[in-house]
Amino acid sequence: MTFFTIVTRGLMRRPVRTGLTLAGISIGIAAVVALVGMAWGYEKSIGKQLDVIGIDMIVSNMGGGIMPKVFDANVEEKVASLPKIKETTSLLMQLISVEDAPMIMVSGRKWGGFTWHQLKVVEGRMIKDEHEPAVVLGRLAAEVLKKKIGDTVLLDSEELNVVGIVDGGSVVENGAIILSLAVMQRVTLNEGKVNFIDIRLQPGTDKNGVTETAAEIKKIFPEGRAVKASEVVGTSQGFRVAQAMSWSTSILAIAVGILGVMNTMLMTVFERTHEIGILLAVGWRKQRVMLMVLFESALLGLLGGILGVLLGAAGLLILETTPAIKGMLEPDLSPKLLITSVLIAVVVGLISGLYPAWRSSRLSPAVAIQS
Amino acid sequence: MAENAPSASTPSVYEARGLKKEFDGGKVAALRGVDLDVREGEFVAITGPSGCGKSTLLQLLGSLALPSEGSLKFRGRSIPDMPDPAHYRSHDIGFVFQAFHLLPTFTVLENVQIPMFEGGLTKSQRRDRAAELLESVGLGHRLTHFPSELSGGERQRVAIARGLANGPSVVLADEPTGNLDSANAEQILDLLLKLHRDRKVTLVLVTHDLGIAGLATRTIRMKDGRVVSETSPSTPSPANHP
Ligand SMILES: Nc1ncnc2c1ncn2[C@@H]1O[C@H](COP(=O)(O)OP(=O)(O)OP(=O)(O)O)[C@@H](O)[C@H]1O
Ligand SMILES: [Mg+2]
Repeated sequence: MTFFTIVTRGLMRRPVRTGLTLAGISIGIAAVVALVGMAWGYEKSIGKQLDVIGIDMIVSNMGGGIMPKVFDANVEEKVASLPKIKETTSLLMQLISVEDAPMIMVSGRKWGGFTWHQLKVVEGRMIKDEHEPAVVLGRLAAEVLKKKIGDTVLLDSEELNVVGIVDGGSVVENGAIILSLAVMQRVTLNEGKVNFIDIRLQPGTDKNGVTETAAEIKKIFPEGRAVKASEVVGTSQGFRVAQAMSWSTSILAIAVGILGVMNTMLMTVFERTHEIGILLAVGWRKQRVMLMVLFESALLGLLGGILGVLLGAAGLLILETTPAIKGMLEPDLSPKLLITSVLIAVVVGLISGLYPAWRSSRLSPAVAIQS
Repeated sequence: MAENAPSASTPSVYEARGLKKEFDGGKVAALRGVDLDVREGEFVAITGPSGCGKSTLLQLLGSLALPSEGSLKFRGRSIPDMPDPAHYRSHDIGFVFQAFHLLPTFTVLENVQIPMFEGGLTKSQRRDRAAELLESVGLGHRLTHFPSELSGGERQRVAIARGLANGPSVVLADEPTGNLDSANAEQILDLLLKLHRDRKVTLVLVTHDLGIAGLATRTIRMKDGRVVSETSPSTPSPANHP
């Protein structure tokens, strides 16, 4: 028999309570994994999209909701004239509910801009010209909306023909409805407005060049801001909302986990006052009794964490394939997230065990043994 | 004070002076000033009516509780001021309770090993030593049983083996036969007497049984939290005789 035997015996002697506590922690940790995995996945897929298109910087308005506010399309010309800039294009993008899909990206792109180049038609054809009242669908968007070539999609009040299905090389692109900027402006009553300018810089532009360019854009367009593509996700309003939500929900989940384990450990300590009295009476040091209680709660955390990570990962994988969400996210289930989550669970276990451990070591052997 | 063998020059194991213990913030006075000497190798019996403070005194000797007042020394060291009372409890003494106080979810063999976690033994040394101790109390065939599967007498023998886990020189026993029938009580008593005789263990035993008390080197009678008389077999008449 080892010290560890004593610790595990303590948990096994109360299978129901141990099971319930494990369920509590694992649900908390599963929530953390699912929410943070989604937020990180969102970040990763946007990063990938910008990379595939070859966007170096993005200009947008500072305010706005999930998507930034619109501004005058003529800002693009002024930005394009800056020295370090090789090429620009502009977009009007909205994240809106379309027919059965609760949230879908609708991306109106300036005709001829470089954001069209990487789209590969997999079915049907490309939009003919700037004014054709038609859209192409990313592959995932087509699946989510259950649309084929020849169908129409209702955007605001206008039916637009689906003329092609495209592969854009990233989840974000494939999850979008893509149409010409002019049509998008007309349909959404945003004539002459855009909300993004995408920039490609001259080859060899260094960090300083980027910073200078950002400053110059700020002069041209004071209420806007220009960010490097690699930083765009962190500064995006939508991402920040998603991130804040996932973390605040995670913190809540962790707090619930702490309460659960602490409750179990406190009950265990109260219930085992007599046994702890015996341990103290036969000469166990207070520290050893505390260690026993802490090990028990840390072990609960570890087991709950592993269970929770499996649960959360499974949940995300299932979520990923549900029709309503398909194509909207590419969950990030990196080892970093999984290990962090298990570690969080162990720390939760340890924190919850602290007070019960301290309390158990304060017992007087004579009093405890009589209870 | 008339005192026979062991002689007064034998070093003392316990030395209590004016020992008091109060409960509930002074409402209950369990001990009201006890003076007591226990010498190396003695077998001291403590008797007295229920509630007179016998268990309380033994708890103080065993460092299971702290005195409210007075001094209490173990081989010259103050028990309440010990920097490591756990070591004293695990190595210097073995405590035997009336109610056995075994851990129900651990086997007999595991129960005896519990105090050994405070010693430097390896896993297999702990096991072997526990098996040896259980063999010596006649329970070599019961190692993997749980306490609930044993008779009262067997449980108490496990508790004695546990008390001897780290080879103490003192055994404190609080009515160890109080929950047992006479046959089992006799076995337990024989076991304790053998320890006292063969291993020279100092034995302090609380009992209601005057027959048991008659076997002791000295018998201490208590009443209302005080020592009222001391008897040894050579001076059988009560000392509180005028
Ligand atoms: N934890 C406690 N809190 C309050 N009072 C206590 C406590 N422990 C003991 N007492 C009181 O102290 C007195 C002495 O108790 P103690 O248990 O020492 O008696 P005893 O001589 O061992 O009795 P018995 O022969 O019945 O075991 C009793 O009046 C008892 O009620
Ligand atoms: Mg008693």
